[in-house]
Amino acid sequence: MAETCRQFLKDCGVDPERMSLEWASAAEAPRFVELITGYVSKIKDKGPLGEAEGEEEREKLIRHLKAGVKAAQARKPRTALGTLSKKLHKEGNFSKEAITEGVKAKILPALRSERILQEIKMLLSEGALSLDELSKEVKAEKEEVEKHLSTLSKKGTVKEETGKWSMA
Amino acid sequence: MAQENVSMKENDMAQTGFEPRILGFFCHWCCYAAADSAGVSRYQYPPNVRVVRVMCTGRIDTRFILEAFKCGADGVFTGG
Repeated sequence: MAETCRQFLKDCGVDPERMSLEWASAAEAPRFVELITGYVSKIKDKGPLGEAEGEEEREKLIRHLKAGVKAAQARKPRTALGTLSKKLHKEGNFSKEAITEGVKAKILPALRSERILQEIKMLLSEGALSLDELSKEVKAEKEEVEKHLSTLSKKGTVKEETGKWSMA
Repeated sequence: MAQENVSMKENDMAQTGFEPRILGFFCHWCCYAAADSAGVSRYQYPPNVRVVRVMCTGRIDTRFILEAFKCGADGVFTGG
């Protein structure tokens, strides 16, 4: 789960190091204090969300995340997560490499494609956009966006007029 | 989720210097107890973490973390 989160945050344009998972037992108060202090100073160094991440503006980032939340609820990525954990359990291989590879191969593509789909819908409901603009806004390759657009137009959700896409 | 929204907004006051807003998901049986005992033994630690107590770290979902960032958290600390 943590690995999924890290990889997907990166896809959304958030520094994955902003998410941390640490272990401290009930008897380890000093260790807990150490962890919290270290983590807070690390985030302080990184600066506010959306600033340290580079060229991406904050609004765009929030939109990626909004679509990401929807994607995380979708059936496909969730099934992928379940299938992967079953597979890892069966093979008995819980090494970090196996998990990273599995997430990269199975879960991330499902999450990413769902995020792109959600984001296209969000953007088009605000106004018509061309393919170039769309792919730039959603941070994805043209081919990926095109694929979603053609499925959506088959369903009759979106339509194309003089090179611009809008909600039907 | 509503809880998170509120806690993030509450903290939207004018800031002198950068004070990160961090959301903490703490396991009731481990990290939450550790935080508690740290308080009792009067250890000093930064006040930037807003805590959401969960019954087990396993309860946390990818969605929770994304939602936290969406609401403007600068970081998410998960303690098990």
